[in-house]
This record gives sequence, structure tokens and C-alpha cells, in this order.
Amino acid sequence: MSYRTIVLGIVIITFLSGCAVFGRNKDFRPFDEQVLTQVKPGQTTAAEVTKMFGPPSQIIKLANGNAYVYDRTLSKATGVWLVLVTFANYDIQHDRMVFFINKNDVVTHYGSSFKTDTAAYGTPF
Amino acid sequence: MAAASKPIRPLMGRRFKRFPRAAILLVASLILGGCLSLRIDKVTDGAEVKPLPQEFAVGKTTLADILASYGAPADIVDMKGHFALHYQRSFYRGGQLSLSIPLSDVLRTSPKLDAAGNLLRYDAAVFILTPDGVLSEMTYENGIARPLWNTYWK
Repeated sequence: MSYRTIVLGIVIITFLSGCAVFGRNKDFRPFDEQVLTQVKPGQTTAAEVTKMFGPPSQIIKLANGNAYVYDRTLSKATGVWLVLVTFANYDIQHDRMVFFINKNDVVTHYGSSFKTDTAAYGTPF
Repeated sequence: MAAASKPIRPLMGRRFKRFPRAAILLVASLILGGCLSLRIDKVTDGAEVKPLPQEFAVGKTTLADILASYGAPADIVDMKGHFALHYQRSFYRGGQLSLSIPLSDVLRTSPKLDAAGNLLRYDAAVFILTPDGVLSEMTYENGIARPLWNTYWK
């Protein structure tokens, strides 16, 4: 084995020694998106919303009533630690539901986005 | 006499030829000594925020239209009568380069140089609605599409 090969081998081993980390963090709230089909604007009440989905993450006071917000988060982290370089990538996605409730405690509108399935591991490039 | 008439240029050329090797050796020793490090971070928070649809119009578009098109917002803001729906995606890029020369055994100090830079860009759409849920104002910013380097130094 030549001197050059040995040096090259040492350099490659030195630079590639390190570790990789895969992380998954979840801010969980037990609401079920299938149940959302049971919500009927103009009929479903605020009490029924909390019965179906549990306590909201946030309640926002509005001029004509309230907004109940449900939010949960999934983040996926990928990290590579080498001798010289460190790469880290975080992808944070949310599932959200919002219910607009009038002064009579009836749902007037609702909207939803379920995006936690799209959270992905990856590189920062 | 022969030594005195020796040309100077080849000597200088040899010195310059040795310089890259010395520089490579120095850089390699710094790297292998753990004195040079580079860190690159990326953080994406939230899903894509699409541009404003052409059919959206102030005074006509309703809360139901916005929720059907964009889904649940990241934030709802009470504006003392009017209220705003805020859709946002943030995109963070960070980098750090660190260089230090361990001379504490020889000198009292060890020279160290750190260079760090972070850039946080946003895609955002904001809809301001009347208390009755009719669109009164809307705006959109596609910040993530802006070039990284030029935006950072702007």
C-alpha cells in the first residue's frame, strides 16, 4: 500500500467519521379530522365542538363572537455531524382547525388544514 | 563568482511553488486539529402559502371563500371590530464558520474568528375582514422566493 493511499484513507476516515441524527417531535392533541364532517355551520354549537374535539388550543375573542383554534405540530429533524461540517434540517408542519362561533354559540364557519403528513426528513440543501 | 552570478528568479519560483503546499498543510492541520468548522441549518415552518386567487375581490369575497381556499389560518387577530386571518410559512437559513488557532501553549491567547449569518424569510397572506365576514383588505408576500445571498446583504 502506497504512502499516498494511506494518507488518503486517513483523511477520508477522519472527515467521514461523525454521526447522523433523526428526530421526531410531536405536539399532540387528540382531534380526529374524520369527525369534522359532523360539523354543520348554522347548527353545531360551541359545546358540541368541544365535545367532539376537546378543549381548543386557543380561544380568540372577536367582535361577533369567538374563534376556537385547534393546533398540533409534527417536526422532523435531520442532523449530520462530521469532523469539519455540521448540517441540520428541521421541517415543522401543523394540523389546524378553526371554528368561528357567533354570539349565540353556534358555529358559523370552519376551516381546516392537515399538513403534518407532509413533514419530511432531508438535507439543508 | 559563480555563486554570485546565480539567477535570483528560479529561487523565488521555488519559494512560490512551496507556498501552496505550505498553505495546504496549514489548512489541513487546522481542520484535523478541530480548529475549523462549518455549520449549515435550515428550518421550514408551515405549509406552502399560495398566491392570492384572481377571483378574490374586496367587498365580495367572504370568510367562507377564504377558509375553503386556504384552510385554517396560522393566526387570527382581533382588530377591534374587523379581524384578520394570517397565513404564514417561515424559512430559516443559518450558517456559521469558526476558525481558531490553538496557541495557548505558546502564547497567552488563541486567535479565534467566528462568522455567523442567519436569514429568516416568509411567505404570507393576510386577509382583513369586516365583523360580518366580508373581505375588506388582502395582501401577499412571497419572501421565500427572494434570492438568499442578495436578500441577506441588501
